[in-house]
Amino acid sequence: MPKIIIDDREIEVPEGTKVIEAAEQLGIMIPRFCYHPALGSVGACRVCAVKFLEGPFKGVQMSCMIDAKDGMIVSTNDEEAVEFRRNIIEWLMLNHPHDCPVCDEGGHCLLQDMTVSGGHGMRRYLGLKRTYRDQYLGPLVQHEMNRCIHCYRCSRFYQEFAGYFDLGVMQSANRTYFGRFKDGILESPFTGNLSDICPTGVYTDRPSRFFGRRWDYQRSPSLCINCSLGCHTTVSARYRQVVRQEARYSEAVNGYFICDRGRHGFHYARTETRPWQALIEGREVPTEGAVRAARERLAEIVSSGGPRSVACLGSGRSSLETQAMLGQLCQKKGWQGPSYFMDKSLTGKAKTAVSRLDPELAVSLRELEGSDAIVVVGADPINEAPMLALAMRQAQRRGGKIAVIDPRPIFLPFDFNHLPVRLDEINLYLSALVKAAVDPELIVDAGKDAIEFYQEAPSLEIVAASLQEKASILAQELRAGQRVVIVCGTQIVRETTPALAADHAKFLRAAKKQAGLFYLLPQANSFGAALLASSEVSFLEIIQGVEKGEIKGLIVAENDPFYSFHDRQRLELAIEKLDLLVVLDCIESTAVKKANVFLPTSTLYEAGGIFINQEGRVQAAPRAYLGGISIAQIGGGDHPPRVYGSDIPGGELRAAYQFLSQIGNGDQIEDDDPTRRSLLRWIADNIPPLAEIPPFDELSENGMRISSSNDTSPQFAVNWQEEKEKGKGSEGPLEIILTDWTFGTEELSSFSPPLMKLERKPYASMHTDDAARLGLGHGDKAKIKLDEGNLEVDVCIEENMASGVVILPRHRLLEWQKIKSLPKFVRFEEIEKVSG
Amino acid sequence: MMNYPQVLFQNRKADRIATLEEYRQSGGYEGLSDALSKASHKEVQQVLLDAVLLGRGGAAFPAGRKLMTVADDAPHPRYIVCNADEMEPGTFKDRVLIHADPHMLIEGMIIAGYGAQAEKGIIFIRPEYESAAIILEREIEIAEKAGYLGKNILGSGYSLDIVVHRSAGRYICGEVTAQLNALMGKRANPQQPPPYPTEKGLWERPTVLQNVETLACMPHILRNGPEWFKKLALTETGAGTKIFSVSGRVNSPGCYELPMGVRLSEIIEVHAGGMVEGSEYKACLPGGASTRFLPRDFYDIEMDFDTMRNVGHRLGTGAIMVFDQKTCLVAATLNLVEFFARESCGWCTPCREGLPYIRDLLRRLEEGQGEEEYIPMLQQMSKHLWSSYCAFAPGAVSPVESLITYFEDEVREHISQRKCPFK
Repeated sequence: MPKIIIDDREIEVPEGTKVIEAAEQLGIMIPRFCYHPALGSVGACRVCAVKFLEGPFKGVQMSCMIDAKDGMIVSTNDEEAVEFRRNIIEWLMLNHPHDCPVCDEGGHCLLQDMTVSGGHGMRRYLGLKRTYRDQYLGPLVQHEMNRCIHCYRCSRFYQEFAGYFDLGVMQSANRTYFGRFKDGILESPFTGNLSDICPTGVYTDRPSRFFGRRWDYQRSPSLCINCSLGCHTTVSARYRQVVRQEARYSEAVNGYFICDRGRHGFHYARTETRPWQALIEGREVPTEGAVRAARERLAEIVSSGGPRSVACLGSGRSSLETQAMLGQLCQKKGWQGPSYFMDKSLTGKAKTAVSRLDPELAVSLRELEGSDAIVVVGADPINEAPMLALAMRQAQRRGGKIAVIDPRPIFLPFDFNHLPVRLDEINLYLSALVKAAVDPELIVDAGKDAIEFYQEAPSLEIVAASLQEKASILAQELRAGQRVVIVCGTQIVRETTPALAADHAKFLRAAKKQAGLFYLLPQANSFGAALLASSEVSFLEIIQGVEKGEIKGLIVAENDPFYSFHDRQRLELAIEKLDLLVVLDCIESTAVKKANVFLPTSTLYEAGGIFINQEGRVQAAPRAYLGGISIAQIGGGDHPPRVYGSDIPGGELRAAYQFLSQIGNGDQIEDDDPTRRSLLRWIADNIPPLAEIPPFDELSENGMRISSSNDTSPQFAVNWQEEKEKGKGSEGPLEIILTDWTFGTEELSSFSPPLMKLERKPYASMHTDDAARLGLGHGDKAKIKLDEGNLEVDVCIEENMASGVVILPRHRLLEWQKIKSLPKFVRFEEIEKVSG
Repeated sequence: MMNYPQVLFQNRKADRIATLEEYRQSGGYEGLSDALSKASHKEVQQVLLDAVLLGRGGAAFPAGRKLMTVADDAPHPRYIVCNADEMEPGTFKDRVLIHADPHMLIEGMIIAGYGAQAEKGIIFIRPEYESAAIILEREIEIAEKAGYLGKNILGSGYSLDIVVHRSAGRYICGEVTAQLNALMGKRANPQQPPPYPTEKGLWERPTVLQNVETLACMPHILRNGPEWFKKLALTETGAGTKIFSVSGRVNSPGCYELPMGVRLSEIIEVHAGGMVEGSEYKACLPGGASTRFLPRDFYDIEMDFDTMRNVGHRLGTGAIMVFDQKTCLVAATLNLVEFFARESCGWCTPCREGLPYIRDLLRRLEEGQGEEEYIPMLQQMSKHLWSSYCAFAPGAVSPVESLITYFEDEVREHISQRKCPFK
């Protein structure tokens, strides 16, 4: 490892470390604009110039372009280098507007910092400034090209790093322009990162314009809870509302970036329709009164029907504290549940994913970037967890090969191979690929189970003729790869798939590969939900209990079954039949409207909380601000705001777990800590994988990855005969597959006004052959006969998807909740074209 | 008029190109057929190295050495690229060469291609040279029919195809790595090595790029030997002939093929017909717009890469722009910087922003609004432009720096008189 001396201080760094990075390790921040650790060195801005005094290079050179080598002596403050850097700043400022006081980047602008710290105060240049025309880039990013210093970070991120090409460099010399060919909404779902990486104010966060300065904000580390990856964010709040969210660097999860859904998904916490007031039968009441009412009415139900007449439903979007409080209540009180998932199949899949995530196999999102080969089964990264697609793109850029086995029309911003097969075929295809990728000689000592598994697993012969060529190329690529990761979804796949994915990862490991396993879960804290969920009771069983009259009272904590349960009619009847529905939530929902007792809960930003991401990483977000109704809303345009009293308006909100504790235990909550502490103790005592969980504030920056795998879970236990039987028929009816879209289906982010502008009108996707058989053309409206009525929806015809399926987004603007049971099949006769 | 041997221009005619037949009669394609039948590609590399054939595009890198840097086990396909993007102001030798004897270039490319074991040849030509591009396309087809191009050339087993690629037209496309980026459909930004193009060039494959004139020398070297080539020069360090494009205040501007090392004074006085009536030599740009002004003191200098380098100047492309005592060099420099500021690719800060700044200062000087402090500012900025990403900016400031070095008084007159003294 080379040793280098920078400003008289020696440091030893790994081979290949750039001088600018070595300096950073010494705490010397050499100025930089174009250099970015995620984007690498390109030597464009020239502001990182330093003087090389000894070694293979001499004189003023760019510290980002030169690897640290033995014998180098570098000075960052040599007069010649300082003079040069000063000149660079002067040049960059020739055309830069002098309007920092009104610029949206002012106060957190790298150019501003460098200009001030470099001492460039006097303007010598007498010429005119260059001006550009700005473009409309969509609702998320504001474009102000006059501020550009041409560091090329934006185009490098957008094209090279993220793989989208509708924004880039145009023109040349000092007219060089960064933007789109013409005005229009940016196509990438990672555009917010442009605002983060732009060293000046060319790209700024559009929704938060004119709201404040960086130093006005209460800034706090936080977590994204709009999917299961658990990316790190920084949240900014002002005047009692969240204003902006940015990516926060995480070594293990998201690196430097986040997706737009995560960045702008916070609006549920500040929307005007957010329920702030406790309700009893729709009437506003003081919070304590509502808590008391809930407690008393629950006690009545229990006294007449016993403890089993009360059930609890939580969700995967709640903090671990809230989830656990439900668990604790059910355990203590003998209530039914807790359930966090809509049906047993989903509970089972999530539980399998959690119990089969062997620590040896689990890979983090960042580790995934280093894989040679990735096989995705039943997951649609861009739509379900966009940052997964970005991580896979990095693997692909490094030469990794990517295969996707999924019925949906998958788009990814890089080259990959897609095997569009029906859900019943996924297991077979995964198996055939993995089998073909393994050298049989390498598994002789892999153990009896693995050898048997290998022998019985189907081979490439099961692959359809049209996919044979693709599959054999994929098998070769897998065979060549050493670090192979299986990415497995848990939403649309059959119940057997998650376990099979684990079996295959394990099997690849037995075959001497560095195999990894990466599950996607439905929601931010589905991992916690899976650890806590009762395996007997899912929401479907709760409904059955209500229908049978066994369940009279239902507590719903931060869930809206009207959003996610597949049979709306049945749900409504069941809810009507209940004696008591207690709903706790922070968002406006149908469940809130239907509640007998409603308690408004605080959000993650207002209460903090622990979330466990899909790889079992326990992460905590502290409270970002105290909460309350925003000043803008209270004021309503009046001045002064007409609210009297010294409390924070809307400040009676509590975290759901605190309300639950009050309802169940009758606690008087004065302070947050004792409840949380006793809750954490309960978690440690009752959930073995979380036995070692440290107190909230002692979790490290990267959280703590827990080992949740359970050795007793059955392995290599596949009934191949049954699988092959299921995989056969292709002439059957069409399966309805309910799926996620990047924007418009995820519950919390669907409250975001800027994201609403990016939502597409919901449509059903259908394979060309199926559409032809139905006489449907692209853009036609179709009527699909579901169990509880018809669904009219536009049709999108796709070539790159499986035939025999109809893909429907679980979009809030589409009334898809008319399905009696899942999986749902429709016959061809049940779909018809709507004319006119 | 001294009679020097005409090598590259031996078939040059006033009104038309030399045909394949004429080229063959003058010994054309003999060098190639000898090389293909008798020499290994390594021997070809060695011959070119022995001949001290230096790159004629201005960088003077030994052509044989460049071919040798293609590793034996480097992957295929490999590329030989002919740089016909002749955009250096004042330079017009490549155009004349192609219009005189296109097969000389084609044969040179095949030889260089053989030396690199390349299978693909590309002539990257500036769009303004449409007539040259048409000639090349036509003559490439003729060469193919004659068996000099395509599969199994002259029965040797060596194959090469050549295509003509028209540039979208920027000066920076003449820079090797920018040209390769342009060929790959990317922005024409230079790429700092490593990797070198001969290791990873077009589509990550070894790529050898040579100037038109360099390639045109190759058939003659192979046919007559390196010693013959070296002896063509008048100086010990030089080798071969050089085409000088002479323009400016001379009686007979034009393209002259003269021995390497011929004196500047001889070029102007003898070959270019002397200065025009009433004009006296003041300075010249000896090798295109990106070289330094050569003042009267160097009037007798031997025009050779080495001798020029020894006095801090560059032979460049051998494009001699002659200025007389009535020409304002501040205005001339402004004109040149105008060009460079426009042609910068926009990649790095010094070039993109520094050149317009220099242009602004020069314009103010020329318009009589100059200040004393502009002189140190110009000097300092020019110095800083040497630390830019590629060689473009150092070339662009060469006229500026030499203007101040040799003609500071003239610049000062602009300031003290508050106007251009030549107006």
